[in-house]
Amino acid sequence: MKTEQNFWLLYFLLVIAQSVISNYFQFSPYSVISILPAMVMCIPLQTGTSVCMIIAFASGLGIDFLSEGVTGLNAAAVLPVALTRKQLIRSFLGEDIIARQDSFSFQKNGASKVMLAMSTAVMIFLVIYIILDGAGTRPLWFNAARFGISMAVNVLLAAIITRVLTTDDRR
Amino acid sequence: MQKKGAISYVINAAIFILLEVAALNMLRYGGRMQNLWLSKGFHAVMATVWGGTQDIAHYFSLKKTNDELALENTILRARLAQLESVVADSLIMSRQPDMAGNFRYIPATIAKISNNSEHNYIIIDKGSDDGIHQGSGLITWTGAIGIVDAVGRKYSYARSFKNHDMSISTRIGKEGPVGPMTWDGHSSNGAVLREIPHHVEFSPGDTVYTSGFSSIFPAGIPLGTIGESRIVNGATYDIKIRLFEDFKSVRYITVVENTGKDEIEELENR
Repeated sequence: MKTEQNFWLLYFLLVIAQSVISNYFQFSPYSVISILPAMVMCIPLQTGTSVCMIIAFASGLGIDFLSEGVTGLNAAAVLPVALTRKQLIRSFLGEDIIARQDSFSFQKNGASKVMLAMSTAVMIFLVIYIILDGAGTRPLWFNAARFGISMAVNVLLAAIITRVLTTDDRR
Repeated sequence: MQKKGAISYVINAAIFILLEVAALNMLRYGGRMQNLWLSKGFHAVMATVWGGTQDIAHYFSLKKTNDELALENTILRARLAQLESVVADSLIMSRQPDMAGNFRYIPATIAKISNNSEHNYIIIDKGSDDGIHQGSGLITWTGAIGIVDAVGRKYSYARSFKNHDMSISTRIGKEGPVGPMTWDGHSSNGAVLREIPHHVEFSPGDTVYTSGFSSIFPAGIPLGTIGESRIVNGATYDIKIRLFEDFKSVRYITVVENTGKDEIEELENR
């Protein structure tokens, strides 16, 4: 149970960390830095989708309130990640992990598979985030550039977050 | 187990929709750009949804619409039948001369007209088959141009007003003195009004009308305007008239027949 308790504490701290990132580490309009999709993906599989969505919504909303962004933006973008979380894990890491409600990690499931699932989650998040943030006012090339740069940064961050939050890799 | 899974999907979907809508709503009120954009999107979705539901509603009300159209068709068919009947009657009427008072009017076209001799004539494309009788007048809306002299089955021959022995009873103004008007003998739109008493006042430009005293032409047809005048034998005026109708360009005329003409002539002969 130690790991479970540690997870939620870490999760809470990462929400704070994301708020700090949103306030102080937005270096360019071309990049969106967010660890939220990776955090949601790492929520233990024992947690049902409904609860996961509520947690994701609350997390996104908390980040929105604590940062200078538009309220509801992170919440709206992260909800589809929470909804599709189990499907993504099932698709990339196999049915067994869902059936056993086991945790996943780079060591157990392989870095490439885990990163594929994470990348897809980050992609879903970024697509929605960039579309909602642009509100139809930004040209396609800008959104595409923003997506590409943000994707590179956030996949890297997702790897770090996965390593921090997944059970077997925690030391 | 499957049922449980389905319920789980439905609950997840419902929670997702609820939370997403809540998030979008917050986003809408949080940012001006997002507000405009999402409002536009919501309106488009609403329009599509309402349009779709309207289409569905229309689909289910097709029977009612069909019944209404069938009823409307029946009513329209009835009205069409009525109108056809009226039109048929009017067509029958159009084969008959138009009646107004004692006069019968028949439209006709000039088939031939002579203008350059001392005794001019007009041939029209209507004859006895069309109800034309000898002694009928030929008029236009601006002149009395002749009298039917001979009638064939399909054509009639008329003496033109441009004949020395032809005169029309005319009146100066609507209630002025009456006198006979004859052709001046040389111009296509000139005439002379004679026997106007010298004490009568008139002015150049006054209009001359048919008097209606003859049994051929109805009263009140405008014929022309007064021009120069001169006193003849110290008793009456001869007045030059400029006719409205130009005989060189007239083509469509109306044959006018006094239906009481025979009775009038019979009375005259007693």
